[in-house]
This record gives sequence, C-alpha cells and structure tokens, in this order.
Amino acid sequence: MKTDQFPINGNEHASFNLLKSALDSSITGIIITDNNLPDNPIIYCNKAFEKLSGYHRSELIGRNCRFLQGRERDQKARKDLREAISKGESIVTEIRNYKRNGELFWNELHISPIKDDAGIVSHFVGVQNDVTRRKNAEENLIFERNAVEQKVKARTEELKANQEYLDGIVQTVRQGLLVLDPQLNVISANDFFFRTFKVENRDTIGKKLYKLGNGQWDIVGLKVLLEQLLPTNNPVLDFEVEHDFPHIGKKLMLLNAHRIELNGKYKDRILLAIEDITEYRAAEVRKDEFLSVSSHELKTPLTTIKGYYQTLNKLIGKDLSPKALNIFEKTGQQIERLQRIISDLLDMSRIETGNLELHKESLDFDQLISEVVTESRNLFPSHQILVQGKLGKTVLGDESQLVQVLHNLISNAIKYSPNEQKISIHLSEVSNFAKLSVTDYGLGIAMEDQKRIFDRFYRASDIQKHFPGMGVGLYISEQIILHHGGTLWVDSEPGKGATFSFTLPIATRKVNHE
Amino acid sequence: MICDDDIAILEMVEIIMEDTSFVVSTEVDSRKLVKRLHEENIELLLLDLWMPVLSGEDILKTIRTDPALNKLKVMVMSAGRDAQTVAMDAGANNFIAKPFDIEDLIEQLEHL
Repeated sequence: MKTDQFPINGNEHASFNLLKSALDSSITGIIITDNNLPDNPIIYCNKAFEKLSGYHRSELIGRNCRFLQGRERDQKARKDLREAISKGESIVTEIRNYKRNGELFWNELHISPIKDDAGIVSHFVGVQNDVTRRKNAEENLIFERNAVEQKVKARTEELKANQEYLDGIVQTVRQGLLVLDPQLNVISANDFFFRTFKVENRDTIGKKLYKLGNGQWDIVGLKVLLEQLLPTNNPVLDFEVEHDFPHIGKKLMLLNAHRIELNGKYKDRILLAIEDITEYRAAEVRKDEFLSVSSHELKTPLTTIKGYYQTLNKLIGKDLSPKALNIFEKTGQQIERLQRIISDLLDMSRIETGNLELHKESLDFDQLISEVVTESRNLFPSHQILVQGKLGKTVLGDESQLVQVLHNLISNAIKYSPNEQKISIHLSEVSNFAKLSVTDYGLGIAMEDQKRIFDRFYRASDIQKHFPGMGVGLYISEQIILHHGGTLWVDSEPGKGATFSFTLPIATRKVNHE
Repeated sequence: MICDDDIAILEMVEIIMEDTSFVVSTEVDSRKLVKRLHEENIELLLLDLWMPVLSGEDILKTIRTDPALNKLKVMVMSAGRDAQTVAMDAGANNFIAKPFDIEDLIEQLEHL
C-alpha cells in the first residue's frame, strides 16, 4: 500500500507506516471498502486477506466482496449483510466464501461502518477469519452425535454400496486413475490406467508410485506436492509430465490429485488422475500455427487491396459523385474492418503462444478514454455514451492494446443492448488502481455464461444466433488487461444489462517527457 | 528495389511509386536479389520477410556482413508475427507492418 492513497500529512507518515505494517503482520484478514464509490468496491486489503482468499491484491481491489461467494448467492448470511450495509450498521456473521482455487472456506466476518464528519457512512471495514476448521469440527460433531447409532447399523451395507458405486465410476471414466495411500503406495488402479500404460496389475498394485515403469513419476516437484496433499488438503492441479514411457513412448501426461472424500469426510487416500494430453497439445500447437499463418496469408492480399484503394482515392476521389463517394468511403470502412478481424486472429495466436508484446508508455488515461469515446460516438450514433468520473493520473500501458480493450467493451455494450439508447462509462481511482466500468442496460448474461465468456471462441448460446462475431474480443481483452497487471470482470443480471470493469495499476513515477 | 514473393504486392507498390521521386526495380525471387543489389547500384531496399527458400531475415544478415553493401538502407515490410523484432534484430533500418497506408510507406521511405 502506498502512503499517498490516504490523505495524510508528512509528519503522520511514521505512524501511518507503523499502522500499515501492523495491519500487514496481522493474521486476521482485513479489507476496507469505499461506500461512496459505485458498488462499494474493495480499496484496501492486507496480506492476511490475500493469504486467506488466495487472490492477489490486484485481483481484489475494485471489486465488490460478493464475488467471494461464487455462485452461492442465496445464503441467509448474505441477506443479513446486505441489510446491515444498507442501514450502515455493524454486523458479525459467518458466510461461505470461495478461495481463488475454488476451495470453500467459512468466513467469520465482522463488518463495521466508518462515518465521516457528517455522519454519512463513507467506508466499511471487514475483519475476516477463516473458521473452516472450527466450522467443520462443529458440523462433524453434530453429525457424529446424531448419526452414531444409525451409522453402526447401516455401515456395512453402506460401505459395500459405496464401494460398488465408486468402482462403477472408476472403471467407466476415460482417465487413468490410481488410489494411493499416505506413503504413495498404489492401492488400486482402473482398467483405463492399465490400458493407457500397457501395464498389468502385478506391475502396479502395492508398488510405490515413483517406482512404477522406468521411474516416470519420480519427479521431486510431484513428490513434494503429493506428500503435502494429505496434511494440507491442497490438491495437485494440472501437473504436466513429459516423459519417454516404457511400452508407449514419449507422451505428455496431465496429472490431477485430490484427497478422497466420502460422505463429506476425508479419507487418508489420494486419488490420482492421469490424462494423456499428447495429441491435444499437438493439436493446440497446430492450431496456433494455423492462426498465425492464415492471418499472414489473409493480410497479404489485403495489403494489395488497401494500397490500390488508397491510390484510386488519390487519383479520382475528388471527382466522384456524392453517391459514388459514399460507396467509396463505405468500401474503405470495410477494408479497415477486415483488417481488424484479421488482427484479432493474429493477437489471439500471439497470446496463445505467449508472444503478446507490450510497448508500455505513460498514458493520460482520461485523454485516451475521451478519444475512444469520441470515435465510438461517430461509429455508433444509435446510443448515447455517458462518461462519469476522471482519473487525473497516468497509467503505464500499451496504448493501442488498451484502445482495443475499450473499443471491445464499448462495442459489446452497444451490440448487446440493441433496444436501448444509452451506455455508461465510469472512471475512478481505487487505491493505486484506475478502475473503468462500461455498463449497458441490455440483455445481460446468464450466471453460467459469466465465467466462460472470457474463453476464446466462446459465445453465450442463446446469443450466438442473433449477433455476429467470432467470440474472441473478451478473451483478447482479458489477456491484455492481465498482461498489464490488472483484472477484468463482469457483473450482470440477465435482462437488466451488464457491467464490464477492469483495473490498471496507476503509474508510480511522473510522466517522462523525453 | 522492392523484393516480395507476392507479385500482386510488387505490382501495387511499383504503381504507387510512379508518382514519387523513386526509381523502382522489383524482384520476386529472393535468391536472385543479392546479385542484383551488387550489379544495379541500389540505394534503398524494401524487403518482405516471409519468402520461400531464402527469407528476408537471411538476406538482411547477408547484406549486413557484406562490405560492398554497407550503404544500402533496408526497410522491411511484413504481416508476420513478431516480424518487427526479427527485422530490427537482423539489421533493418526501419519496419512497416502490412497492410500499410501508402502515405505512411512513402513518407517512411523518404525519411530513411
């Protein structure tokens, strides 16, 4: 946290810094939200909250806390919270939140309003504790007490049924599955595992995982993760192993491991899923090459068309009749449009191969937005574009790429609100980030689509039929914002419209006039 | 001298150059280019990057190690991925991305 985020005098710096260090060394998560800004965004979080939630500060600042509840929007605690916040009262509650990796944690939340001199609530301070362990213990206790008798009776049958049920699943999936004990001995394996690796029962069961085959799983990094899995409960996610395996040759395998959970209780067993992604990855590489080559091939004739078009414009542009001139101008606009579509394809292949280059410079963000808005007003006379707020500071960024993001969000907002007359843009400073929101009052986005609209080629299903587009704009935009150290997200309610917001770090140094 | 394996682009650039002060020659086969550069006293080369057999990058590297061509200015034009970095690393004096504005092209060539 920079000291210039709060209005303090020079001689207060020492005590401020002390306070800041104290907050950061607290093991309790602390956040502050600004009630004067739209949607009450987070403007401060301490280190403990980053640890607690698994989100980096840059992913938290600017957002409303509700996103931590994931899809559990109908919790009772949420209603209580909403009431307390709207009345400006303090509240203590326990709410189910989700970490960045999707893991559930019980958050014991103390919220207190901070009032300004006029008695108006300006901020909320949230003090948060992960009480998952206690909560689990409580739940387990209740569960145990109620169930003990019943359980003894039902246990044998239940276990048998569970076993059959699990066996059914385990044998059906199209992934190699291994069950490991805490010492990483293989307890069981499914048929698909044997088929994938062309091995037999006696080569596998009872052996240590890292002694299988020719030592393909004897990888220090993997071993550490697996050994920590049971004590910490942290799953192993998408661990890639490229290896020359016995019988099947060089393959790329994707490993995922989780602690086995039965009836809501954890067992001391690890389920390791192994997937052969060799072909999949090769296809990805071929596709990226195809994107790169095809956009090059498309640009080559476009170069000629554009060159001739501009030459023709110079030669006869002045002598054309109004009608011919109109046609001529429209042709030019479509050439530019084609060029943008091809650029999008190329951008995507660059992102896919990690080759997105940023040419960062200090940018006057207010001016950048005003230029894009002016241009958009000419392009989309159907909608009024309202702009609120000013930043008054510079951000460090790649101008053409940020312009592309703005164009994307504005044209999407207009495209998906065909029956409306306006969209709004809101600009604010949130902690050391610039936050920009583009709001439309159109169709909105269904909850299940909200995460996936940032995937490339993804187009929300009922929308696809009615609106043109390739489904790459938001993917590219999110990648550009991520590459700038910011976050892009959406808040939407179907039928009421959508707000796409992003944050960008504010440049810490003054603009260099070179 | 303009060198591109795409004849349509060669013709187009040649036509737009007609109204400028440049005297233009063209070459579609990159393998013949270096020999012609020696023979024809070329001052300025507009070079494509992705060409079959002998690429623009290879040609640039040859030019930059040939003392007889040390006064030759080279501008690279390309629609390829990361072409600008490749071109400048190989010793180009300037770079323009395809598709370009013809005004930009001529202005940048005049300022080389």
